[in-house]
Formats: sequence, structure tokens, C-alpha cells
Amino acid sequence: MGKMQFDPDIAGNGCAPASPNAPALDVADLVKRYPTGTEALKSVSLAIQPGEFFGLLGPNGAGKSTLIHCATGLAQPTSGSIEVFGHDAIDHYGHARLAVGLAPQDLNLDWFLTLEETLDFHGGYFGMRKRDRRERTKELLDAFSLTEKREERTRTLSGGMKRRLILARALMHRPRLLILDEPTAGVDVELRLELWQYVQRINEEGTTILLTTHYLEEAEQLCDRIAFINDGEIVARGTPDELASEYDVGSLEDAYLKLVGRSELSRAKVEAVLP
Amino acid sequence: MSAGQALRPAAPAPARRFSLTPAQIRFSTLLRREVSRFLKIKRQTLGAPLLETFLYISVFGAALGSRIQQLDGIDYVLFITPGLILMAWAINAFSNNSSSILQQKFQRAIDDQLSSPASPLELLLAFSLGGFLRGLIVSLITFVVAWLLIGLPVVNAVVLLTALFLVGFFFSQLGVLIGVRAEQFDDVSFAQTFVLQPLIFLGGVFYSASLLPEPFQTITHFNPVYYMIGLVRYGFLGYEEVDVGLSLAVLSLATAALFAVNLRLFKTGYRLRA
Repeated sequence: MGKMQFDPDIAGNGCAPASPNAPALDVADLVKRYPTGTEALKSVSLAIQPGEFFGLLGPNGAGKSTLIHCATGLAQPTSGSIEVFGHDAIDHYGHARLAVGLAPQDLNLDWFLTLEETLDFHGGYFGMRKRDRRERTKELLDAFSLTEKREERTRTLSGGMKRRLILARALMHRPRLLILDEPTAGVDVELRLELWQYVQRINEEGTTILLTTHYLEEAEQLCDRIAFINDGEIVARGTPDELASEYDVGSLEDAYLKLVGRSELSRAKVEAVLP
Repeated sequence: MSAGQALRPAAPAPARRFSLTPAQIRFSTLLRREVSRFLKIKRQTLGAPLLETFLYISVFGAALGSRIQQLDGIDYVLFITPGLILMAWAINAFSNNSSSILQQKFQRAIDDQLSSPASPLELLLAFSLGGFLRGLIVSLITFVVAWLLIGLPVVNAVVLLTALFLVGFFFSQLGVLIGVRAEQFDDVSFAQTFVLQPLIFLGGVFYSASLLPEPFQTITHFNPVYYMIGLVRYGFLGYEEVDVGLSLAVLSLATAALFAVNLRLFKTGYRLRA
């Protein structure tokens, strides 16, 4: 498999980095306050380097999805800045959005569309030409073993197939930064392993990955660096080993349990008390 | 899924004499999605409104028309047909846009468009034109059939086309507004059943307001749809019940104001983005 590249002509010259050393994602002092007064993000700062496989871990409601939504235009930040490869992602977001592919946590497919249309329309939203859309759609349907279903409406798909289609859709416009928000939630083991294998492969080809997941062993295996987010704040960041040592525990999972104040659930402690 | 299967880089685009810019491709795709939505369910989105319009013409025109004969010197069936054409455009534009936006919000499928590089203006125009085109198709077919069967004339094409396009765009905007604001399907059907349809029916589709006793005649003058029907009826039949210039000006302003409100909603992400 050749390195995935982004052809500027396909998407309107919008994907070249603004500067050669620009981080893939640079979040600075990001605050998201909802009208109810809830502060979902409290001055979050985070930088992900090009080519990194970065994990964002935290309990439910910690602010992971809010951060992702702010980076992809699905939520309006209250203050702070977000840049994608050096391009502003909040006010003048055109270039930044071209570089980002989002596979959201929800299976947010349009029931009216077929699989082919889902990918074709997505490519169109990102300015891809018809011929390129057609070729890319075929390529992705093949790669995700969805070709046989290409003319069926998305509502007829199984949960696992919907998950695959969502990942294919996120990759359709050849993003340089792929954001995966709990991509394996509710999928079977076989598909989960396939997805990870696939995502690892495109990361090796140069695509930067931002991943949120509740599967800590996998985050430990896949991610170069990880940040823990809790109650809207980044509370720790580093390699899995660095995090384990920062929390003075033996594994990423134990570091996470310590973060959320549930160290009593550590496998070592549970095994010790089991008969 | 084959992890080892190559995903090829984009092939260089061949040189061509005419090619769309990425922004044009984006907008045409957004619009294509809206049009394909109603074409996929055309029995419901085109067939049903056409049948409804022809039933109105049959019942009110043929059956009731045989008793009423003429209104202000115009055959009754001819008198009501312009209002029915307007009603078809208005209701289809409104219901298409409101239900399309709400359905996509409901499934969160709209996130695919919202996270694309599309601007608020592109998104708003595409959502608006979807319903506008559906209304145009239904109205156009109704007009052609009415022209063939009852000889519906066009007396002032400029006023007619201007008025119909403004009416179509006005109700498209109204549909977008309700779709964005709505949180459940009941919100859309409430607006259509309890606001839109009474305004249209009481705006004089089936009668001339001049025939109404007071205070209903005066009350009718506060109904904006009365002026829309007056404009369209003038365009088709030359029957002048409203001040054409003033009505066009007010309708233009109202449409522009509604468009400005919707653009603001799309820019701020009101009930679209978190």
C-alpha cells in the first residue's frame, strides 16, 4: 500500500500545512461553556504532532466528545483557539476542515441514502471531483468489505457494517488527521481487531490519529501518546509508560483507575481478593 | 475489511475545458442531496401533493363551480387555480425543508454537512432550494395541466414569476426556520396544521376577500398570504385585488428578513451545533 497523499487539486488546495512544523492539532486555552452554565472544557491545551497516534482517555462526560466537536465544527467554543495543521478551525475553518476526517461515536448515517451515496455525497461536501469520488467510493467499499451492499440503504445495515461505513466516510476525502470517537463502541471482537489493524495501517502511512476509547489495553498498544481528560481538564499526558510511572502504577489501566478515583477496581487488587 | 489493501492516492485530475470549483462541487452536492431525498419518496413528496391539488380543483372547481359559476366576472375554477398553485408551492417548500432538516438533526446525519468546509450561506441556500424546487415541480405540473384543461392564462408573466419565486423562497425559509427550531416532529406538524394551513385557506384561495362581511374582510387584510394570493392571481388572471407594487415590496422585504434570520441561525449554529 502506497503512502496516502492528499491531492490539493481534489479538495481545493485546502490541506497543505500553513507552516511546515505546524502540529496536526493545536488546541490552546479552549473553553466550552453551555448556556446552562456547565463548563465542559476548562482551558484545555493540547498539541498532537503530524503522524502521531494520540489517545484521549477519560470517563463519560469528561469532555472528550466536546473537544472533538469543537475541533470539527459541531460545537462552538466559548473561547480559545484550535488549529489544524496551522489552519484556524473555528472562524476561518475551510482549510482546517478539509484536513480532518471524523468518525463519530453515534451511528449518524442518513437512512435515505445508499452506501454509495453516503460516500459520494461526503466527497462532494469536501469538493472532490466526480471521477475521484467514484473511484474512491469503490476503493473504500472494497477495503471495508461493503461492496455487495453498495446499493442498499444504510438503515438495512448491521451495527458493525454501519460502523465500517462511518469509518469509510471519514476517510473518503483523504484526511490528514483522522478523529475516531469511540469507534469500536458496541462492535464485536472480530470487527474491533480488524478496525484497529486498519487504523494502524493508515497511521503508518502518515495519517495522524486522534482516538478516544474505553478499551485501555488497546489504547496502550496503539497510541504513541495519551492524554487523560477529567472534568473538562487535561490532567496528565505522556506515553503509556510515562503515565503509568506518573501515577506510580504498573499499567495504563491502573493509572486511569487512579485518575477516576477507583483504584480498588485494579485487576491486581481484584485478583488478590478473589478466592 | 482488508487491512492490507492499498488505498490509492488521488489520481491527478485530467485537464478539462470546464470544471467546477471545489466550492461549486460542494454546493451542488448539498443541493443534490436535498433533491435526491424528495425524489426517492416521490409518491409522498410529489404524487400526494399533485393528487391533493387536483382534488381541490375537482371538488371546488368542478362541483362547487357549477353552482357559483363566476366570481367578479371570472370562472370560479379559473379564479381558484392560481391560489391552489401558490398553495402547492408554499406547502411543499415548507414541509420539505422543515422535515428534511428535522430528520437529519434527529439522526445527527446533518453533522456530515456541518463538519464539512461548507459555509453557513451554502448550507442555508442548499436546504432552502431543496423545498423550493419540490414546490416548483408540483406547481409547474399543476400549471401545465390547468393550462391544458381549463385554459389558465398568464396575463402578467413578470409579476407572476416574481411573486411565485418570492412566495416559494419565503416558505422555503419558513420551513428551514421551523426545521431548525423544531425538537420533535410534532413541532413541524403543529406549525403546518395550526399556522400555515389556516393562513393559506383564510387568505382567499377559494374566494375573494371583497365578498366577505366585516369584520372578516378587514381581518383578512392582516393575513400576509392574502397579498401573496392577490399577486399570483393578478399575474395569472389580471385580477387586481391588492396593490401589486406595495405587495411585491413587502413580500421581498419579508423574505429577505426571514433569510437574514436563518443565516444568523446557521452562523451561530442555533440548535444545529452544540
